[in-house]
Formats: sequence, structure tokens, C-alpha cells
Amino acid sequence: MYHTLLFFHMIAAFLLAVTIVMYSAVALGATTSSRALFVADRCWDVGGLGTLIFGIWLALNLDQYDFFDFWILLAIALWLVATGLGQSVQRRLGGEDVSAVNAMHWIRTIVVIALLVTMVWKPGA
Amino acid sequence: MSVLAAIRPDDWNLALFVHILGAMALVGALVLVIVALAERNLRLGYRALLLGVLPGWTVMRGGAQWIAEKEKLDDLDPVPSWVDIGYSVSDPMLLLIIIATVCAGLAARRQRQDGPLRGTALVLTVIMLVAASVAVWAMSTKPT
Repeated sequence: MYHTLLFFHMIAAFLLAVTIVMYSAVALGATTSSRALFVADRCWDVGGLGTLIFGIWLALNLDQYDFFDFWILLAIALWLVATGLGQSVQRRLGGEDVSAVNAMHWIRTIVVIALLVTMVWKPGA
Repeated sequence: MSVLAAIRPDDWNLALFVHILGAMALVGALVLVIVALAERNLRLGYRALLLGVLPGWTVMRGGAQWIAEKEKLDDLDPVPSWVDIGYSVSDPMLLLIIIATVCAGLAARRQRQDGPLRGTALVLTVIMLVAASVAVWAMSTKPT
């Protein structure tokens, strides 16, 4: 059960990485279509839900972790910040303030890397 | 067993982080290449292969070797099958990356949006994405 949940959690996390890489290409000046950004946004929708659901399921499945462990609460907080930034990037994309959109994207990227750091080091576990 | 799988020494963490970060960049860039080539955006497809897929593979493979040495996985006899799957997926992938990059680069240079070069690069990238998914399955489920 643990390994199956971990597999789906990992696949979901890789979908988040797809979104980050595709938006990074846009932030670096690549010309992309609205279809490409649609794919990137749907990857975040599915990956975001997947990481959250399978992540919490994993934590509940293992006896040595508790839902209220610091690293799990930190991960959920980072997930909320990253998702909020992503929605803001989606709304403002195509507007006049390109630098603000790019800045928000790079902050989201740092938050997602911080999520990965939290998952690997598990502070407070 | 699942408890054992969830616990590892702290000094393995950095190598694992580098390995996963590289793998995520690799998979993200592979999807970007597929979308770009499918839309006949040859320039973006080529650049994503050269500046995303290749560095992502390098970091992922370097991280894999690093953590394998820390865990002394290569010294085990027999080597666990999930490690074998990882190596047999990742090592040939470098050749596919090089071929796909050359094909996409030539297609972009010649502005041939419908030629066999774009198709070859696209098919190879799809194969690499499927192979990467198999590797993620092997790394997370660790079949014996």
C-alpha cells in the first residue's frame, strides 16, 4: 500500500514539475501557444490535487507520521502558497505587467523547490 | 517494510534531493518538448531538449550515482531489480536525447515543420517520457 501511494504521490509531484518547467520557458521568453499553457495549468490542477490527497493518505498510512507533524503542516502551507501564486500568474498572464508575472512565477518555483526540500528532509519528523 | 522504506540516514538526503530535482526537470522538459514539437514550434522543442532535457538528465543521473554509492547499492549481490530498471532506463536515454536533439536542431535550422526529423524527435521524446514513467514506478514501488 505504501509503495502504491508513494508512486501516485510522485507522479502527481512530477505533474507539478511539468507546470513549473513550462511556465519557466514562458518567463524566459519562449513563444508558446495558449494550448501549451492550458496543458501546464491542467497539470497543476491534477498534480496539485494528487500530491495533496496521496500525500495526506501516505502520512495517515504510516504509524510514525502524524497529520499534525511540523513537516506535513509546512508542506501543506507551501502547497497553498504555490497554488495561490499559480492562480495569480494565470490571471495576470497576457497583461501589461510582465515583470510582476515573471516574479510571481519564480517565487512559485522557489516555493515548489522548498516543498521538495521539506519532503526529503522532513524537518521535525 | 514500509516503515523501513520511509526512514533513511540524513546524509543520503542531499543526494536524493539532487536526483529527484534532476528527474523532475527532465520530465517537465520532456513534456514541454512534446507539446512544442506537436505544435510545430521547432525552435522551442530544440531549445527545451538542449537546455532542459539534457541538463535534467545529467543532474538526475549524477544524483542517482551519488545516492547509489552512499547506499552501496552497486555492491549488493544481486543488485536489486529496481536499481537495474533505473540504470537500464536512464543510460540508453542519453543516446535518445542526443538523437532527438540533433533531429530537432536540424529540423529547426531547415524550417521543416512536417518532415521526418520533427517526427523522429517527437516519437523519441514520447518514448523517453514513457521510460521515465517506468523509472518513477520502479523507484517508488521498488519491485524485487
